[in-house]
Amino acid sequence: MLTALGKYLIFIINVFKRPVRFKIFLKRVGEEIEQIGIDSIGIVSIVSVFMGAVLTLQVAINFVSPLIPRYLIGLSARDTFILEFSSTMVCLILAGKVGSNIASEVGTMRITEQIDALEIMGLNSASYLILPKIVAALITFPILSLLSTILGILGGFLIALSTDVVTVYDYIHGLHYAFVPFYVTYSIIKICFFSVIITSISAFQGYYTFGGALEVGKSSTKAVVYSIIVVLLFNLILTKLLLT
Amino acid sequence: MIEVINIDKYFGTNHVLKNLSASFQASKINMIIGKSGSGKTVLLKSIIGLHIPEKGEIFFDNREFISAKLNFKREIRKEIGMVFQGGALFTSLSVEENVMFPLNMFSNMSKAEKQNRVDFCLERVNIKDANKLFPSELSGGMQKRVAIARAIALNPKYLFCDEPNSGLDPQTAILIDQLIKEITTEYGITTIINTHDMNSVMEIGDNINFIFEGENIWQGNRVEIFNSDCKELNDFVFASELYKKIKHNI
Repeated sequence: MLTALGKYLIFIINVFKRPVRFKIFLKRVGEEIEQIGIDSIGIVSIVSVFMGAVLTLQVAINFVSPLIPRYLIGLSARDTFILEFSSTMVCLILAGKVGSNIASEVGTMRITEQIDALEIMGLNSASYLILPKIVAALITFPILSLLSTILGILGGFLIALSTDVVTVYDYIHGLHYAFVPFYVTYSIIKICFFSVIITSISAFQGYYTFGGALEVGKSSTKAVVYSIIVVLLFNLILTKLLLT
Repeated sequence: MIEVINIDKYFGTNHVLKNLSASFQASKINMIIGKSGSGKTVLLKSIIGLHIPEKGEIFFDNREFISAKLNFKREIRKEIGMVFQGGALFTSLSVEENVMFPLNMFSNMSKAEKQNRVDFCLERVNIKDANKLFPSELSGGMQKRVAIARAIALNPKYLFCDEPNSGLDPQTAILIDQLIKEITTEYGITTIINTHDMNSVMEIGDNINFIFEGENIWQGNRVEIFNSDCKELNDFVFASELYKKIKHNI
């Protein structure tokens, strides 16, 4: 465990060393933004809209007491998405999609000696390959999170519009009610941490793949599992530090 | 000239290279031969720094490599071209982009100059009309030739080839051998080839090192190989009936 942690820290130090050519680094970041961010818009959107709709329905169905104001349905949808779903849950989805993609891409490069080829050319392969991924995730994950919040709330709004579990007025009133702007900051801080965790752990698993196709598959699975565990752990730590 | 002095390399308890010494002549084709598992690839990867030996020294023209700082190692590596066994072309880049990659990274050429250099290198390895293709669209022989083009793009002082003929038919293998020979002679490159293909050794090997169970037990040229009394070398070289007949006739 300690050996792996030490290896990971050395890997991270190498990753954050100065890129060889800044222009090429920026080009690589652009490519990664497309692969990591833009390609994830679909899955994040679909999951968010449906979860927003289902969440609104479930909350509405469970608020049976006439003493509970109906606008709390909108409030609960808003806070659930801002505080937890759009940061943590979206990151868990991205750990599966982006994390496995990074681990298998880097792992395949390792076993086909492409990483060795970079090293032989005198390049810092860790920095060249991984730093653009981390920067791209830092840029795109918060945007995806924001998109998820908007679409999740929209999903709830569609339920309010198409059913009679809550009125549109109550739902929108709930969205405005007792809004705490710091929750957005908290969510962005979390997602920034999670983006680095997911990309770096997945890249680490891929970078140290040895063997063949079977090992690439194992690295990919490990990348997803470890990323999820560390994200959940940091979710707890950050929540304790920022909200209590 | 590249000198390897008394290197030891372990993987766990497996002692792969045993106090191995070898010298590789400048501007010549130096061959590392030996059975599978004898330590050839480990030796090659140790010389270029992909493996770090536990003991010993490696000199690139009197510049010590193993204990050098990482930045200095990277400077030496910029003088190295490497052709990997599988080509190791970047699969997400086209042929042209693969060859241009080291130029983009380390040269200050203009775009036009880089394009000229890429065209020159690809022409030199007889690749035509394939600039925009991706590695997955190329045959094994073409991939090797593109790998050679990429390796020579920055005019390296040292060229390393790990089993350049593996997986190729005999005719293509000879073409690749000839290409490496021509490039070595034309540009005065110190070339080290790791192989167990005796045809290659006999065709182009200037200086041959025979590795047996992690030790360099014989060094000589392709003429001397026929007169050697090293049993292990003879067992390896003259394993086939054809080579036995050739030796008998000599």
